[in-house]
Amino acid sequence: MNQPAECKTRINYSKTLQSRYVAHLDTIDVICKTLRRLQLSYAVTQGCHVRPKISFGPPLPIGHASYCEYFVITLNQEPDLEWLKGALNREFPKGMEVISIEHPWSDKKSGSAGEWVQYKLYFRSEETAGQARSYLLDPNSAFEVLRKGQKKSYVLGKAVQKAELTEQNGNWLLTVEFIQGLADMPSVSKIVTALAEHLGSSRDDFYLLERTALKEL
Amino acid sequence: MKNVTESITHWELLKIEKPARYLGGEVNQAEIKASPDLRVCLVFPDLYELGMSNLAIKIFYETLNSHPQIMAERAFSPWPDFEDLLRKKDLPLYSLETGTPLHDFDAILITFPYEMTFTNILNLLDLGKIALKWRDRSSGPLVIGGGPSASNPLPMAMFMDAILIGDGEEAIVEICETLIKAKKAGTDRSTTRSELSQIQGLWVPEFAAPVKRRVFKGFASSTPPIRPILANVQAIHERAPLEIFRGCMQGCRFCISGYFYRPKRERPVESLIEYAKQLLQNTGEEALGLLSLSTSDYSQLNELITAIDKQKLYPEQKVSIPSMRMNESTLQLLDSTPHIQKGGLTFAPEAGTQKLRNVINKNITEDDIISVMQATNGSDYRTVKLYFMMGLPFETDEDIEGIVALVHRLEAIGRTCRPRKQISLSLSGFVPKPFTPFQWSAQADMAELRRKRLIVTRGLERSNCKISWREEFLCLLESVFSRGDEKVGELILKAWQLGCRFDGWGEYFSREKWEQAFAETKIDSAQYLRERQIAETLPWDFIDFQTPRAYLEKEYQLAAEAAQEANNESAS
Repeated sequence: MNQPAECKTRINYSKTLQSRYVAHLDTIDVICKTLRRLQLSYAVTQGCHVRPKISFGPPLPIGHASYCEYFVITLNQEPDLEWLKGALNREFPKGMEVISIEHPWSDKKSGSAGEWVQYKLYFRSEETAGQARSYLLDPNSAFEVLRKGQKKSYVLGKAVQKAELTEQNGNWLLTVEFIQGLADMPSVSKIVTALAEHLGSSRDDFYLLERTALKEL
Repeated sequence: MKNVTESITHWELLKIEKPARYLGGEVNQAEIKASPDLRVCLVFPDLYELGMSNLAIKIFYETLNSHPQIMAERAFSPWPDFEDLLRKKDLPLYSLETGTPLHDFDAILITFPYEMTFTNILNLLDLGKIALKWRDRSSGPLVIGGGPSASNPLPMAMFMDAILIGDGEEAIVEICETLIKAKKAGTDRSTTRSELSQIQGLWVPEFAAPVKRRVFKGFASSTPPIRPILANVQAIHERAPLEIFRGCMQGCRFCISGYFYRPKRERPVESLIEYAKQLLQNTGEEALGLLSLSTSDYSQLNELITAIDKQKLYPEQKVSIPSMRMNESTLQLLDSTPHIQKGGLTFAPEAGTQKLRNVINKNITEDDIISVMQATNGSDYRTVKLYFMMGLPFETDEDIEGIVALVHRLEAIGRTCRPRKQISLSLSGFVPKPFTPFQWSAQADMAELRRKRLIVTRGLERSNCKISWREEFLCLLESVFSRGDEKVGELILKAWQLGCRFDGWGEYFSREKWEQAFAETKIDSAQYLRERQIAETLPWDFIDFQTPRAYLEKEYQLAAEAAQEANNESAS
């Protein structure tokens, strides 16, 4: 019997509003249920425990909004891209929305040299935004993380590549480029948490963070 | 109306474990009605993950939101970290759909799933800024409770404007329609409660009159919830639930569920096949759960499972059957159907000897268990779970030793099987429940339960089986709540004031606080644990449970006779 032709499709989506507080594994679950509701014909893994052939982008920390999330699914037939986008948007929970679909998709990532990520950090006051910028651009900024009762120290080093401050509708936007995923380099999640601690009582001026671009190096 | 969630900052949410529990926005959430005639909040007094798996919440949410005049929202018990945040910021507990404070609803409808949530119920009301006692509420929502743990409503009577005894599907609509009329007419609270008391099954403490348990006679032809909300945080049961029948006619004499959900009402197999399809299409859940008190008793189980298995909507689809009475024929059925989720083998013999199983009317024999174990030789089943109760009426030490002997025998068989079977044993103290034949029985005290538990654990010291047990003090508490009167409400209130909540969770249960509550309210637990005389008037006798008292007396007598007969046999 002829096997159906398998074709990979990359779905780029955003995760904002309430959905940004849904953890990575729960998001995977939400996506798998959505695909089942659409009854798409997708390829599955062989073996006792059947799973769809699907891969996800790097985990997004809880609370971070993102406009560059994706998953790659192997479909058994050519998809109608317009229909697929509309159907996914109809079925996704509030805060998740398909931005684009790339088909056919071929994986290019090496996955060994970390990731370049761009974030937008939103502030209510210029002073706090400036303080945040100074902290992020100082390679000697250091912090400690408590994990399983053990303290681990980090310095920013080359983790922050760039940080530009602009005004936007009376608020202040800090566009920051990070490198993460390399040995001894702190993740964006850890850096942002340390930044919030550093801001102390001004922390609530820092009210939103969005991942806007991601590239695997 | 302000959405409470807007008062919580991003950084505050990040300090909370699983913030998605408190934000709503899930798939299949009901459309928000702009100006409904009645706004109600369905409240489940435990964590989001548990409440989102609760079938009653799904049924009421769909039923009420399909009514054009009603908007139903949801709220769950917040975990202590989120409770601390709400209290610190002086924010009220709110609904997930619109962030509306509980005190702004027209009615709060609370499910009582198990007795150990009673302090959570008080905590929810307090967090919602609603006065705890119905007499102290002059404005704000009416608070109405119901569910299996409300079969004896007296312990919660001082907190509830009304309590529903029995099935809720029809009654909940009647309650809401009565409230709509009262709201439009501007009726005062007492008159509204009086009107509510006319609804069959609804007991209103203010007009404490006899009440008859509500039975949903149209269950078989009713539509189950087919578009349930999907949790954004992994729920405790990840499956699309389909209730295939309600009620159980096994007649176990200790089981309140068996009496609470009577009579047995089956949904037709053709309808279930169609509902199963719609449920899977609307949820995308990997597993379809066929639910009932004893799924093997569904008259067309074979046809149902085969048909569902044939209409596969997606490759991962499975059927999960959580309450299966195992015997050789059910095992054959499970083995012949490829897409059934196979957990371990679970048996609930409840008693260690055939004599005691006859006394409690538990229809499972040692041979049943052994033959199933032997039949699974070479199959995937690796674990065998056994449930037993201790402190049952007419129990002797011989029956407790019988548990040890049975486990030893099963272990010996398990060792000859490939793969080897791992046996785990769960022990719990028997709690006499109202409206069962054992409602008159004494509850064994803690020392006695502990002594019996030690007989089992010492007898199995050299065994490889895993043993877990329910703390004896929890059994005592459950017994006080189950057969309690209105005074028990004071005990619950005191315990909550002392900081008790999440009593069903080991990490939060505090025996010291409960003992202090007993001492401060001067309530003697022994009063509630004692044996009752048949001639005695029981506090819950004002409820017509639709099982005649004479029938329960007869069953109690049959149990006594079975015990006597066994004693005579062993003496001779």
